[in-house]
Amino acid sequence: MNKKKITNEDLKAMRQSITILYGVFKKTFYDILKKSSPKEVFLLEGRPSLDSAKVSLRELLKRKITPTIISDNMAGFLFYKGMVKEVYLAYQEADRKGAVCDCGALILAILSKDHNIPVKCFASERKTKFLGTTKDIVYFNGIKVAPKGVPAYVPLIEWVSKNYIAEIN
Amino acid sequence: MEKIKESPLFWPVKYKAGVMEVLNETLIPHKMHYVKVRSTKAAVGVIREMKTRAFGQFLVVLYTFLLELRKIKGVRAKDFKAQQKVLARIKEVASSLNKSRPTFPFSEVTGIVVRWAIMAIDAGLDIKSFVNQNIEGYLESIRIKRLERVGKIAELISDGDSILTHCNVSGELAMAASICKKQKKDVHFFVTETRPYFQGAKLTCWEMKKMGAEVTLVADNAIATLMADKTVNKVIVGSDRSCANGDFANKIGTYQIAVVAKYFNVPFYVLTQPSDKIRTGKDIPIEIRKQDELLKYQGKKVFRGRVNAFYPGFDVVPHHLITRPVPIRVTENE
Repeated sequence: MNKKKITNEDLKAMRQSITILYGVFKKTFYDILKKSSPKEVFLLEGRPSLDSAKVSLRELLKRKITPTIISDNMAGFLFYKGMVKEVYLAYQEADRKGAVCDCGALILAILSKDHNIPVKCFASERKTKFLGTTKDIVYFNGIKVAPKGVPAYVPLIEWVSKNYIAEIN
Repeated sequence: MEKIKESPLFWPVKYKAGVMEVLNETLIPHKMHYVKVRSTKAAVGVIREMKTRAFGQFLVVLYTFLLELRKIKGVRAKDFKAQQKVLARIKEVASSLNKSRPTFPFSEVTGIVVRWAIMAIDAGLDIKSFVNQNIEGYLESIRIKRLERVGKIAELISDGDSILTHCNVSGELAMAASICKKQKKDVHFFVTETRPYFQGAKLTCWEMKKMGAEVTLVADNAIATLMADKTVNKVIVGSDRSCANGDFANKIGTYQIAVVAKYFNVPFYVLTQPSDKIRTGKDIPIEIRKQDELLKYQGKKVFRGRVNAFYPGFDVVPHHLITRPVPIRVTENE
């Protein structure tokens, strides 16, 4: 594991250089990404399964790209600081009106629209259910985090309108 | 004022006779345990390790001065040298506390205490008792103002509201929820889990339940769906630091909630402590925490392989995204 801590100075050097990936893409996508030689690749965790980060991490490491993981609530910080260059979303279904992506994609789409950052969609490797269960987010990494008896609402997919998307591949 | 049932997170630090007891928020919801703190070093420790945060940090700062002043024996008001020694000690304590974490305005709080100490010397008063009395009076004013604000939050909430909140608002929102319940308002709260420390899942869900509120946990990535589907109609969050132009800093994740709320026309309210010490949000120093705090959970690895992580502790929210701040103003002379 690379233990180098990103400092505030590093952030300045990363201006408009970060490529954000969200979702579980088909393997061919990672080859396309590799060819584009991205400077910095950031992965969102993708709660509750964390597959967005885990699968992309594995595929990127195979292609000798060391990504940086952030929690799903940290993307806004990167946009605010002007660090984001482009956003890639994995879609499960798409038509001319938009795409069905993993829950969380709409936040990235709106942030991108707000900061004039292009959003590009590529096909997902998987299809998920519409909703998860309380158990999916009450536990993290096998450890219970929320108190007993608290229900959860766990949407797993969401609709991203074409208005937010620069290209669907 | 009608007596309001208090959440344990409303005043998470107690002080009695030279010992501070700090509610260890990292153990909630599994255990309610207070850490005993007897020195500045230990106080800085509980802040850095995030055993307490937000308003708890503020209390730790002021109580640290009380416990350090108590260690100083027999200083006469007319003994200039001894008074200067006390001032030097107060400045030393302030300096240690200021270095504990970068985003919360520690120096603004410690600066008030230093000014009281200087005022006492200038007026020929006993520095120790003057500072003690001022700290105690200041804390009492803040308690009253915060209780008043709980009432204002309850007024902001209407029957049928469905409210999204993020991280934890140090007891005030949960107490407002309790008032709303008494007033027979039908209100539901959606709480983000707030990775990587899960303050939403652990603290807010716990205290909301304790206060009898209807609460549902959501992942941090579900906030746009909640707003797009009109499942929530208001956002209420706290803040760690405010700027002269109205920008504020709060737990990481708050900025994207504010942006999405603006897109979906969902009113966004923030509880603030106004300050003009810092001009705009761009000037707020943002703490970057250790990557292991994201890559591991309770010592267990979450991600395997050669990977970096990035964990900014706070976001800045520009004032134009705020529908209305809900401020408390307490001057140091109250």
